[in-house]
Amino acid sequence: MLFSKYPDDIKRFQEMTNDRRRIIDNTPATPLPQTYAVNQLSKALHPNVIPAEIVDTKEIGRNCKIITLKSTSENGRFPYFRAGQFITISARVGDSFITRPYSISSSPYQAMQGIMEVIVQKAGLFSTYLLEEAKVGDKVVVGEPTGDFYYDNIRDRETIVAIAGGSGITPFISMIKSIIEGSDDFNLIVFYGVRTRSDLLIDLDSVKHEKIKVIPVLSHEEVDGYEHGFITKELISKYVPAKYSVFMCGPDAMYNFVTDEFVKLGLDKHSIRQEHNSIGDRQFVEPKVFKLTVHMRDQVYVVDAYQNETLVCAMERAGLAAPVRCKSGSCGFCHSRLVKGEVTTPEKYESRRAADKKFGYIHPCCTYPDSDLEIDVPPFVAGEMI
Amino acid sequence: MRKYDVVVIGAGNGGLAAAAKILSAGKTCLVCEKHNIPGGFATSFVRGRFEFEASLHEFNGIQTPENPGSARLLFNELGVGDKIEWIQLKEAYRLISLKEGYDFTMPFGLEAFAEANAKLHPDGKKCIQHFWSLCQQIREAMNYLAESKGKPDPKVLVEKYGDYVRCASYTVNEAFEALGYPKIIVDNLNAYWCYLGADGDNLSFLHYANMIYSYIIGGAAIPSMKSHEISLALETRIHELGGDIWFNTEVTKILTDEEGHVCGVRLCDGSQVETRHVIANCSPHVVYGRLLEESAVPERALKLTNSRKLAGRGFTAFYAFNKSPEELGLTDHNYFVYESSDSIEMYKKMGTMYENYGQATCVLNNADPNCSPKGTTIMYSTTLFTTDVWKDVKEEDYYKLKNQIALAMLKRFEEAVGVSLQEHIEEIAVATPQTYARYCGHPQGVIYGYESQPRDGLLNRIMMVEEDRFVPGLRIGGGFGERLLGFPSSYKSGYNEACRTLSDMQKEGN
Ligand SMILES: Cc1cc2nc3c(=O)[nH]c(=O)nc-3n(C[C@H](O)[C@H](O)[C@H](O)COP(=O)(O)OP(=O)(O)OC[C@H]3O[C@@H](n4cnc5c(N)ncnc54)[C@H](O)[C@@H]3O)c2cc1C
Ligand code: FES
Repeated sequence: MLFSKYPDDIKRFQEMTNDRRRIIDNTPATPLPQTYAVNQLSKALHPNVIPAEIVDTKEIGRNCKIITLKSTSENGRFPYFRAGQFITISARVGDSFITRPYSISSSPYQAMQGIMEVIVQKAGLFSTYLLEEAKVGDKVVVGEPTGDFYYDNIRDRETIVAIAGGSGITPFISMIKSIIEGSDDFNLIVFYGVRTRSDLLIDLDSVKHEKIKVIPVLSHEEVDGYEHGFITKELISKYVPAKYSVFMCGPDAMYNFVTDEFVKLGLDKHSIRQEHNSIGDRQFVEPKVFKLTVHMRDQVYVVDAYQNETLVCAMERAGLAAPVRCKSGSCGFCHSRLVKGEVTTPEKYESRRAADKKFGYIHPCCTYPDSDLEIDVPPFVAGEMI
Repeated sequence: MRKYDVVVIGAGNGGLAAAAKILSAGKTCLVCEKHNIPGGFATSFVRGRFEFEASLHEFNGIQTPENPGSARLLFNELGVGDKIEWIQLKEAYRLISLKEGYDFTMPFGLEAFAEANAKLHPDGKKCIQHFWSLCQQIREAMNYLAESKGKPDPKVLVEKYGDYVRCASYTVNEAFEALGYPKIIVDNLNAYWCYLGADGDNLSFLHYANMIYSYIIGGAAIPSMKSHEISLALETRIHELGGDIWFNTEVTKILTDEEGHVCGVRLCDGSQVETRHVIANCSPHVVYGRLLEESAVPERALKLTNSRKLAGRGFTAFYAFNKSPEELGLTDHNYFVYESSDSIEMYKKMGTMYENYGQATCVLNNADPNCSPKGTTIMYSTTLFTTDVWKDVKEEDYYKLKNQIALAMLKRFEEAVGVSLQEHIEEIAVATPQTYARYCGHPQGVIYGYESQPRDGLLNRIMMVEEDRFVPGLRIGGGFGERLLGFPSSYKSGYNEACRTLSDMQKEGN
């Protein structure tokens, strides 16, 4: 025998089940909670979708508007978010059901008061709809704030050097407001590249704060008191301290150019955070049309898919509520199963998990059809709301 | 009309294993999952140029194809054995306990482990060999119990498995006191305690001894493509067998008929699916609290559920560094960093917001050198909160708080291991109880099911499994099930509930 310490241990063994029965007998049959505090906060931070209404649209430049949304959810609020994140807006446009990401330009506290602002610049179908057709009182569905383009005090240096191109200023407007209201605490130096002064989307006087400096860089206009030309290493060195982290938001061409400048200054290019740009069409002179069979739960739809467009475009055009968030392949929200057929995902937008590739799962937002296809797609709840 | 033989609620480990088993028996099966991917905790996520493992530190019971462990056998039976590639871990763990000044690395293998303990104490080897013989008997006794289908011959039990019977009701601390090993050997044997998340006064010795034995005798492994590989292997298998999985599909009600038998489920979009059998991969708290109509919940189900203790609420910080493990000075895969080797003291501190520094930290590249781009490192540190300290956090304070806690843990790790990591972080993600509540929906962000208690431990639950079910047609499996938490346990629990469901169906003649 290895054990001999407790003389009654065999009896204890025999009584184990009875002991447990007694414990259960002596526990009250009080009703179980319907919800739990931790789960409630989780739900408040991540409601998935929030019904909303357009309450204001304001022209702030040529083909550019600030659109203000008000939450019409039960609690009348949007979640507190991290400045730099984006939301999605879903709406029905004609026969289509469309979802697009927009960086938030309002502040985290405003969200808790039920307000979100985005800046919409004319680009394609949906932005044109938002600029020209959408009006105060229209109902939309907002996808919860997401994305990892925000200041992180563990990872980042105390100073963020922001490189903004055109409407890429949006997430930094949110950061500026967030610093001013006290939601964030870091030094922010923004190099803001625009063509001319009239393209500036912020009022420079409104950002006077000891931690914030905005440096407009005009590419097509020479004006006293303004920087002129490109954002080069010489220009950067003129303003930045010894240690800083870099965030960029703007067109891809800007990313390539300014990243090289930072590398020349000795930065590791991987340490530079670039906000993802949405994918566009691929070029074909005469794109073929394929048959796309879509399974959503037990529903089956057959729709046209153009060779030059992503699978999400095809589904949206057909009015299907496809799940969309980042539209750049990086968030995984559209994760779907490729049942049959050939597809292409451009390397630049390839952020699938290794096992997704092994077992044939795709991100339809960044996948083009190369043949007739069959896919299994999780339905997006926003489709039931509008 | 939508109609299935079985509906599985939740595509976590338990749900996926259950569905694969039901389908392989030729029945129809639908899995409803509220999230958009399978796996529950068993998943991965991508940030920048890195793919992070979301939960798994190490998986025991895999071993080799030639000498398969119990988990590998289960995967083989479910038809996914050849769909998952495993990487064996080289060493068991490195234990750092600050109070006692411990810092040692332990190997896998019964002999090697005993030898390593000889270096800790002159009696170390003898004690460990003694301990292994006890573990061996426990294992044989458990096999005998399983074979006897809960009706063992008491004479055989006492004669052949006397030590097993004697220690079956013991807690870890009671047993180690009875065994009388030197403190340093006991402390070393206690290293894995955080994997079960109950302190030595509550954790069942049987369960714990069985787990250590399983780790050391068979080693541990990880899938080469993170635990997402296991989840997708099972999903693929379910499709091969003709099953359906609907994502973004929360079950909001389990419906019962006049006789109280399950007759269907209602989904988040208000529609219904007809079925006579449901296997729920979520917690009994949610099943009896929300999914069933109040009138369908017997009083004893409430009493039982109320009598149970919610286990650890999860917290994990994930890091990707822009330097290799060698450059950073990270030599091991699996670090246990404790303030003290006294699990009771630790458990108490883990109930506070600001004194919880204990952690199980993995440096993934030291297990799988190809897990991230060359010259980079992936590391993740997990701890549990043993109370609901996260419940009073305000929305606007949440992000600051989680970074504050993560940073304190990182600093403690840097100090304990003697490395400097913070300035090399390229990507970071921090998961809190709120994060886990969001992904799996368990109460208060629990990741470890119901905590092992002296009378709600492995043996009690296995012996009383039929007594613990109340609604005909409904079974509950996974991390809240009879085998408690963990990867191998949750798959096995789902599988077991599927087998029981199949036999229920046979008895009911359908
Ligand atoms: C950070 C961390 C580290 C861990 N490390 C290890 C380790 O190293 N080794 C180990 O063995 N174990 C480890 N574990 C524990 C292990 O991950 C869990 O015990 C196991 O995954 C539990 O599986 P489950 O079957 O209970 O399913 P869960 O993962 O709990 O999943 C339940 C699923 O059900 C779904 N669901 C719930 N309610 C509904 C509903 N009403 N309708 C539809 N769907 C629903 C959820 O969305 C979820 O997908 C770790 C866990 C965590 C979080
Ligand atoms: S929407 Fe983000 S990956 Fe497709």
